[in-house]
Amino acid sequence: MYRYDEFDAAFVSERVEQFSDQVRRRISGELTEDQFRPLRLMNGLYLQLHAYMLRVAVPYGTLSGAQMRMLGHIARKYDRGYGHFTTRQNIQYNWPKLRDIPEILADLASVEMHAIQTSGNCIRNVTTDQFAGAAADEIIDPRPVAEIIRQWSSLHPEFTFLPRKFKIAITGAPNDRAAVKFHDIGLMAQTNGSGDVGWAVYVGGGLGRTPMIGKMINGFVPHEHLLAYLESILRVYNRYGRRDNKYKARIKILVHEEGLETIKAQVEEEFSHVRGGVLTLPEAELDRINAYFAQPAYVDHGVVSLDVEREKILDPAYGRFLTNNTFPHARSGYTSVTVSLKPIGGAPGDATAEQMEAVADLAERYSFDEVRVTHEQNLVLPHVALTDLKAVYDGLVEAGLADANSGEITDMITCPGLDFCALANARSIPIAQDISRRFAAPDRQKEIGKLKIKISGCINACGHHHVGHIGILGVEKKGTELYQITVGGDGTEEASVGKILGPGFVAEEVPSAIERLVDAYIAQRTTDEETFISAYRRLGDAPFKEALYGNG
Amino acid sequence: MTKILTGNELLSGATVYLDANGDWVEDIQAARVFAKDEAKALEVAMAATKVTGRILSLETEDVETINGVIHANRIRERIRSEGPTAPRFDRQHLGEDEHVSI
Repeated sequence: MYRYDEFDAAFVSERVEQFSDQVRRRISGELTEDQFRPLRLMNGLYLQLHAYMLRVAVPYGTLSGAQMRMLGHIARKYDRGYGHFTTRQNIQYNWPKLRDIPEILADLASVEMHAIQTSGNCIRNVTTDQFAGAAADEIIDPRPVAEIIRQWSSLHPEFTFLPRKFKIAITGAPNDRAAVKFHDIGLMAQTNGSGDVGWAVYVGGGLGRTPMIGKMINGFVPHEHLLAYLESILRVYNRYGRRDNKYKARIKILVHEEGLETIKAQVEEEFSHVRGGVLTLPEAELDRINAYFAQPAYVDHGVVSLDVEREKILDPAYGRFLTNNTFPHARSGYTSVTVSLKPIGGAPGDATAEQMEAVADLAERYSFDEVRVTHEQNLVLPHVALTDLKAVYDGLVEAGLADANSGEITDMITCPGLDFCALANARSIPIAQDISRRFAAPDRQKEIGKLKIKISGCINACGHHHVGHIGILGVEKKGTELYQITVGGDGTEEASVGKILGPGFVAEEVPSAIERLVDAYIAQRTTDEETFISAYRRLGDAPFKEALYGNG
Repeated sequence: MTKILTGNELLSGATVYLDANGDWVEDIQAARVFAKDEAKALEVAMAATKVTGRILSLETEDVETINGVIHANRIRERIRSEGPTAPRFDRQHLGEDEHVSI
């Protein structure tokens, strides 16, 4: 894992001091709220419906055991004993008090963490594949590049006041688990004819009120020129992005209105000036950063596979866990374990202080001190030896974290919704809870197979509903919460935006509506292996529309 | 439509309502209800609140009073006044030094 150098440590500690003074002056009345608000937002401090909310950055979703333990400590000492992991691979605390914020930031700084750039019109936390550096299908570990982008974009003077917020996602694998095509910039590792690794660059993707799939602006940017290319895109956006209308200020609108070819020409023009200059990544610096992400000291335990069928007979719950919550590792004898934060009937993404500490313990003991936060609001222990799997599972059972539903219908992305969020129009969490209870039975989930439901409580789409195989969008209509259902979204490399098939449903009707969609899929799939999204693509809207609204 | 005044207290972020004594309190049922013809009083109360610098996100909310019980028209306000519904959490409370008056 990356460790702060003296520059990182200095700027984070200076920021803690600076913001502590700003909080002191706000409380004393020296600063008005109008003066203080932009300062607190630059430090991740929002005001939500019931209280302040502090959003803490988890760089590219990677945590050490000590960092995870600190997140638990903060939850217990300053909040209500829990935290909420988000689709941005960050964590949010829902109940901090203003006076405690300086102390929280100092605690975070002590483990090389902060809340800088988790709000505002700047480059936000870079997100990536939760299995980065571990996945068997990876071309290159994207974390060193994510770290370089983090350093380049942190407090970048030119990009601190962009037209709007800016999100970059990166994947080193051809199977996209980071939804890169739905970010302002998406990066996908590529190998060219000479065997060199570089990056396909997608631009102008996004969700929100105008969902757009990112367009490929360059099929192969050499590794060493990536920063120069990113800077070129940001410069074009900073110069031409709309500042007159916040709903049209994201780069997706610029790309859409101007056309990809126009933007590409402007970026290439800028790149011709920047390329080969100070942003060229020197080999020595690349090596220095890469060294932080060196492979762990794997041990050959002599076990390279598990007899899952046997385990299913001996302990069905453990067998199900092995089937759903493990992911192929690049190193023989190891696996990556998904720790589900989606207990049946629970609030998706929430973890208690005790659970965070339990995961920290397991990471230190069994996963080379590494934890990942996924954009699907789960955690991952990336490097677990097959010989340690049962011990890890037992530890998760003890912590109440052994739900074996990764990738199944109850593993939903859900935004905080109107229960917490000042922007929301409708509640999200109770909808997720009702659906979760409806499909709780393991056999039913197994029968359905891989199916992604994503729920947002407003059109800002923090719950990624546009890319849910089944998406649910809460709206308010005449004082009532109403839920629109979309079908056919996909956040992977086969990106697609879900389609609304008809009128919305009141909250009580949503679980049954979802069940009708699921039943229609099961009735019409060709085999058990044909997934919901594949069946939808083959069958089209008609059977799903009929399932939701009947023949009329 | 009758209205109440609401906001969030600076130190705790807690949802608060202006009562008839000019105190900002936690209970929506203690809120002063401004009649339709009290627009001037509402304006004065908002101005006095802004002077304190202690109430954020100051806004009016439409309410109805039925059998002496204040009902906020918007779902959002009903959730604000009571706390999250799922998971069920108690609302944020004011600490000892977090009470504000105009």
